[in-house]
Amino acid sequence: MTPVALILWGIVTLMAAMVGARKGTAGLRGAGVFAWGQASSLAIRLPMALLAASFLTQILPTDMVADVLGPETGLWGIVLASVVGGLLPGGPMLSFPLALVIWQSGAGEAQTVALLAGWSVFAMHRMLAFEAPMMGWRFVALRLLSSCALPVLAGLLAASVLGLFEILFL
Amino acid sequence: MKIKKADWVFVGVALASGAACWTLLGPSGVRAGLRDAGDLLLMILPQLGAGLLIGGLVQQFVDRERVAAMLGQNSGFRGLGLASMAGMLTPGGPFASFPLVYALWVAGADAGALIAFITAWSLIGINRLVIWELPFMGADFALLRFFVSLPLPILAGLIARWLVQATPLKIREAPRS
Repeated sequence: MTPVALILWGIVTLMAAMVGARKGTAGLRGAGVFAWGQASSLAIRLPMALLAASFLTQILPTDMVADVLGPETGLWGIVLASVVGGLLPGGPMLSFPLALVIWQSGAGEAQTVALLAGWSVFAMHRMLAFEAPMMGWRFVALRLLSSCALPVLAGLLAASVLGLFEILFL
Repeated sequence: MKIKKADWVFVGVALASGAACWTLLGPSGVRAGLRDAGDLLLMILPQLGAGLLIGGLVQQFVDRERVAAMLGQNSGFRGLGLASMAGMLTPGGPFASFPLVYALWVAGADAGALIAFITAWSLIGINRLVIWELPFMGADFALLRFFVSLPLPILAGLIARWLVQATPLKIREAPRS
């Protein structure tokens, strides 16, 4: 177990005690049912997504990544990363392994921030499967217009925070 | 356990990428892919399990009706802040959060608050941070991305409210509950 996992299980214990004190076993059972529902929907998808991401990693042209998304690519790398992030397919089980690979292949930290922000804001599958059917296309359009600059902004903010750290600690 | 249609899509994608790997790199490429996938799975399982339980426990504290009452058109900056906070704390995938967005809409939340909520849920959601980002990307990266993204949902909400006022772009009337 990693330290992070230990901390998380500590939080689980603490929160379970709080829920148990406030709502008794019914509250705990409700929490368990919610968690189990999500877990069972992941049981097949997660291993398959990890397999797909790992296979793709083997064949992707990762030596290109440092050139187009490296720390020195600056604003254009951040813009490109935002767009690439918007094109990442599927839910977190697929995009986080891919983002990790892209980062490890030489993408800059700020560019990787923009990539994940782009995926969060634009996620195509979520828009088609949930947002448009429930909220309507006008809502989707308004949301996209309102948030299309955010991934680039996140990347730029990350770059300036990293730059500040370098000035302060080096 | 029932196998859903979406599961078959994932199986198909895994098989297709495995086949591509075999064609380009041969059996050794497929072996390396299998080993990487196994390592990743072992790495994230303890944290994923904890994250799912935390999501379930948080749900026990969220009072949906009271949240909806605080996010109307005239809720101002405070409403956007509250919507961001609620989105940040809402656990689960889109199958769990969009029903809540819909409920907030019916209950009278405006476009700005709804967009702040969705943006916060997807960009700075604690649940996703804990389950996915910490195990894969590490604490340093996850915290950097979280803190630079923290003000962005409110910004998106402000832009949405401005667009609704200044342009013909309007969302449809909220359906009657």
